[in-house]
Amino acid sequence: MAWILPLATSHRFAGIDAPVRIVRGLGGGSQGQVFEVVVGEEALALKWYFPTFLRRDPGLAERLAESIRRGSPNGDFLWPLALLRPTGSEATTLGGAASGFGYLMPLRPAGFQGAVEHAAGRLTISLQNVLRSAFFLARGFHALHSLGLCYKDVSLGNVFLDAGRGRILIGDNDNVEVSGRGGGAVVGTWGFMAPEVALGRSRPDGGSDLFSLAVLLFHLLTRHDPFKGALERAIPCLDLPARRRLYAEEPLFVFDPRDDRNRPDSIEHAAALLTWPLYPRALQQQFERTFGPGLSDSRSRTLTGQWCQQLAATLDQRRLCPNCAEENLLDVRLSGLCRSCGAPLPPPMRLRTAAGLVAVAAGNELHPHHFDVLLAEDLDHPLARMVAHPRRPHLLGLENLSPHSWTLTLQEGQAIAVAPGETGSLAQAATLTTPDGEVTIERPGEPSVAASPR
Amino acid sequence: MAFPNVRLASRPLHFIYLCDCSGSMQAQGKIQSLNQAIRQSLPGMAAVAHDNPEARVLVRAVRFADRAAWHIPTPTPVEELEWVDLRAGGVTAMGEALELLAAELRSPPMEQRALPPVLVLISDGQPTDDFEAGLAALMAEPWARRAVRLAIAMGHDADGEVLQRFIGSDLSRGSAGGALPPGEVPGASGEMPRHGPGRSPRRPLQAANATTLARYIQWASTAVVGAASSSASRLADAAASQEAVPLPDLPPTELDPLDEPDPLKW
Repeated sequence: MAWILPLATSHRFAGIDAPVRIVRGLGGGSQGQVFEVVVGEEALALKWYFPTFLRRDPGLAERLAESIRRGSPNGDFLWPLALLRPTGSEATTLGGAASGFGYLMPLRPAGFQGAVEHAAGRLTISLQNVLRSAFFLARGFHALHSLGLCYKDVSLGNVFLDAGRGRILIGDNDNVEVSGRGGGAVVGTWGFMAPEVALGRSRPDGGSDLFSLAVLLFHLLTRHDPFKGALERAIPCLDLPARRRLYAEEPLFVFDPRDDRNRPDSIEHAAALLTWPLYPRALQQQFERTFGPGLSDSRSRTLTGQWCQQLAATLDQRRLCPNCAEENLLDVRLSGLCRSCGAPLPPPMRLRTAAGLVAVAAGNELHPHHFDVLLAEDLDHPLARMVAHPRRPHLLGLENLSPHSWTLTLQEGQAIAVAPGETGSLAQAATLTTPDGEVTIERPGEPSVAASPR
Repeated sequence: MAFPNVRLASRPLHFIYLCDCSGSMQAQGKIQSLNQAIRQSLPGMAAVAHDNPEARVLVRAVRFADRAAWHIPTPTPVEELEWVDLRAGGVTAMGEALELLAAELRSPPMEQRALPPVLVLISDGQPTDDFEAGLAALMAEPWARRAVRLAIAMGHDADGEVLQRFIGSDLSRGSAGGALPPGEVPGASGEMPRHGPGRSPRRPLQAANATTLARYIQWASTAVVGAASSSASRLADAAASQEAVPLPDLPPTELDPLDEPDPLKW
């Protein structure tokens, strides 16, 4: 590729003391190119814009400066750190690029891959980590929207996934703006834009972000496009007029509960038919709402906080098939059949807390929000994790991830102390007393405690 | 414990080069530059294809001199493509090349469902056969009419009018519908130029030297492929566009003859 900045050279920029060494080009698109750079001792990424793009987006520098002053909404963004303009003396060394500018941001850490890798089926990921990624994505948008900002250009290309940990990073934050201000050149990516934006009736804002977020969550959870069904199959050439019809003029959700004209094709759209049934009704209904009434009414779209709540609740339903160990999502009080091997799934043992009811399965966690109905869902600080005994895989225990000691009371009444880092067996356990709250271990067939889950 | 082994549905995106291999392409290393530019562009094209799971990018090439023939006959996934050098010699059977192409854009052999094909015509001269018949045969095919058609003129002996007819009329100019007269600089009326002074992807791209050629080939094989698969971010000023595939900005070319008065290495 032809790079607009000279590689392996150092340059001075206004607004930053240390020289910036351009190490290598990382990639490019229609707006500019991204480079790996070293500033002082620190390795960072630098996006440099093409002059043609800058002419189209005259408010870009001011928007970036505002984002930099404000700082990142949370740790899940590759947020702009500093605006770089060449100093006067660099005009000759940087050639044509000297008339433009760029911005520094953190480099994408190792372990994160483009979300397209997931969509393309090129990475292995657990259902739990898909749900966790979806949760963190919704939470990132929640943090961004809480600051009164909107993102505008949600797509698979702007999100990175750590499949092994179920974490995400949101990149390309240069379109972020105060919601409703309506500036900037970029309005979105086809397939992700809200219909009113795609039709040019309004500029992207927080309300259209909610639509785009739902599309992205649907892609993450199903590896499919929410509007590609029989109606897409009837289109020979998927060009812009066809996309406008499919996504903006006559959009119809593939799983619309009242209209089945756009159902997925059993061969071409098999992904949707396999993955959609994995999810509980309450989660499916958020998509039905956002891609139903929410198509024309942005107030009907699921809010970021509601996504966080639903996705966290779905994680609590995760249980493993006793026959094939496959992950299943089912109401914890019900029995069912394994989605993979078809074996019967009896109702699982479960942990009841003041604000939660969590299925017992290796890998499931208790978080602060399970103990306090007023706390927002948060997966960053687990208090306890269910783990298998190192030599007896069917024996599950609760690992103490908190800084405090717990008291585990067995069914016969014996009390055992579980220090931080230790794991107490759930096999004979009746209750667990922690400074965060009481945990009752419920077994199927036993009468359930009256308290209702959150 | 894994997510089901499924993937996003995809459609083929046919990318087809039409390369002039007439005798004049031997002069000043033009054919070598073209071979080099296409070969160098393949990794970038493969990267774009990789990032667009919705598109299966398949590459082919036609060469034309005394006769036209398929140089790469099989639609080849870009990551598997090995570019075989073109050799120059003969006249310019461009019309026959368009007829060959037309036969392949018929359904079948074209799939029933695909993304808009991208057709790139590269020439340094004038057709010596029946260009009109070839163009008519091509444009009779719906897939050709829906294709993104680009043309690159190598040097200044290329027949700009013929290349423009392959592309079709330049729809990107002006809001009142009228294309600007050739050579007129848009923006003189105070309107924001969409593609920089004097250049538009809806007009033949002037590659006056090897560097510019390489940049245009790279642009066609990356940015245009992204646009044809609609994976690129959409700009507000393109939102009202009626084009079947809105084309991305052209790459910066410092040596473009229209940007710089002193031209021409070949």
